[in-house]
Amino acid sequence: MTNPAVSFAHYYFQYSSGRVPALKDICLDIVPGSFTVLLGPSGAGKTTLCKSMTGILPYYQGGSYAGDVRVLGESTKGRKVSDLAMRIGFMMEDYESQLVSLTAGEEVAFALVNHGFPPGETEDRVRRALAEVGLPGRENYQLDELSGGQRQRLALASLLAVRPEVIVLDEPVSAMDPDGAESLYKLIHEIHEEHGTTFVVVEHRVEFVLPYVTDLVAVKDGRIAVAGPCGDVVPALYADPALRPLLPDLWQIRCGLEARTGQSFRLWRSVAGAVDELRERGMGPLAVRKEGNP
Amino acid sequence: MKLNAFTWIIITLAVTAWVFILPVKTVACLLVLQLILLLYIKRSKTMLAAIGGLGVFTGMMIALQLLFGSPLDVALFGGLRMLVMTLAFLCMLATTKIQSIAKALVERFHMPVEYAFMLTTALRFVPNFLEDSTVTLDAQSCRGYSNRGNALKRLWSYLIVIRPLVMRAVAKSETLALSMELRGFGANTYGNMPKDPFTAADLVALAIVLFLSAYPLWSRHVPALAGFF
Repeated sequence: MTNPAVSFAHYYFQYSSGRVPALKDICLDIVPGSFTVLLGPSGAGKTTLCKSMTGILPYYQGGSYAGDVRVLGESTKGRKVSDLAMRIGFMMEDYESQLVSLTAGEEVAFALVNHGFPPGETEDRVRRALAEVGLPGRENYQLDELSGGQRQRLALASLLAVRPEVIVLDEPVSAMDPDGAESLYKLIHEIHEEHGTTFVVVEHRVEFVLPYVTDLVAVKDGRIAVAGPCGDVVPALYADPALRPLLPDLWQIRCGLEARTGQSFRLWRSVAGAVDELRERGMGPLAVRKEGNP
Repeated sequence: MKLNAFTWIIITLAVTAWVFILPVKTVACLLVLQLILLLYIKRSKTMLAAIGGLGVFTGMMIALQLLFGSPLDVALFGGLRMLVMTLAFLCMLATTKIQSIAKALVERFHMPVEYAFMLTTALRFVPNFLEDSTVTLDAQSCRGYSNRGNALKRLWSYLIVIRPLVMRAVAKSETLALSMELRGFGANTYGNMPKDPFTAADLVALAIVLFLSAYPLWSRHVPALAGFF
């Protein structure tokens, strides 16, 4: 049986300054090759969960913990954060402040140079990573010459260059307009498809990832409320009034229709997909209104 | 012809010594050479503004010296020395990548990696800091901040801008530190970078540096040669 990409076993974590644990009894397996989305209200513990996956918590920033976190079968205990980062990349919410160099090429090469990659290979990986995120030939661009969206892509390129098996993104489109967000997720999806990289993404606006998400993990008050493949998790989220607003409108409508009509619908990935299925079943807008909400 | 970062650091340090040991007319020649070099490298508005800014600063220095009773020639030579020293740094920054300078400082001068990295990071974050200060100023202005009144009043009222600005800067520096840690920043950072070649041009430049730096020694014994300077 394949090892989970990331696995939490009865994991507890409490910040040094905290009075209560930020994460409680976390038991979670992230499926390798999945596109997992972490959901939850603000303060639920999503970022803490991400930082725990990457070893930042508790080994870099401190705090009390119990239980174990394994990345690709190896415990994070006693591992250097930078060594773990070669297998599990992490893009923080404040992507702007995590860029450390003056030019795009140097930024992407930073981790490679630090880990002693030969100059030829470094150059090759930098070129390919920039091309993958849609910034080909921008090695010598100063960071100031790049737009916000391009800098976000650059932060992603610097992760891709080290080719980690797992990439964790904490609200990667929080500062982007809808078009930019859709474009970045399309790009992430292409990388996911091409390399089979496992993606774990914290995202409040699930509508952006609807076409791509395979698994959902809902976090509530520091605990895993529900986790698993979308098809299993969506009804459970809909059933919990506190978690229902986390679902995108389209899936809320789907679950509402299922509840009212007693029929089972496919997991719609787009409005067009929903309209098609409703048409196939002879449920145009009028029919739905008649059956569901007269 | 491109000189190594190490050579440029040595030249810059040497120039700061030359302004005191070489005759004034030689220092004036250095100024002309520096200006030619700077305008040859980049004849942009930014470069002209940088040179102009240093010129204005020099003028202020001369005026201050005159104000405090220094003779005109002393004030002028003092200003010239300061201008040549600062232009030497400008030449180094204009010709050499800051990363190369940081690398040379670590490898050749054994500067701690963290301090060398601060050089590049400071340059990287200056625009961000300015942007943040504008955002904070706007945000506080929306809440009634006003910088009207006398200088003391304005300085006092500026505190409400400085506090959030510092908090933002601290938060960003924490993210930066974490990002560096995640990407393996440490002793290998500069050691693993591609080596800058040390060419014949560097050797020639260093020989000239050595020759001019020894001026006080040989000028007494070879007055004919010293006459050229």
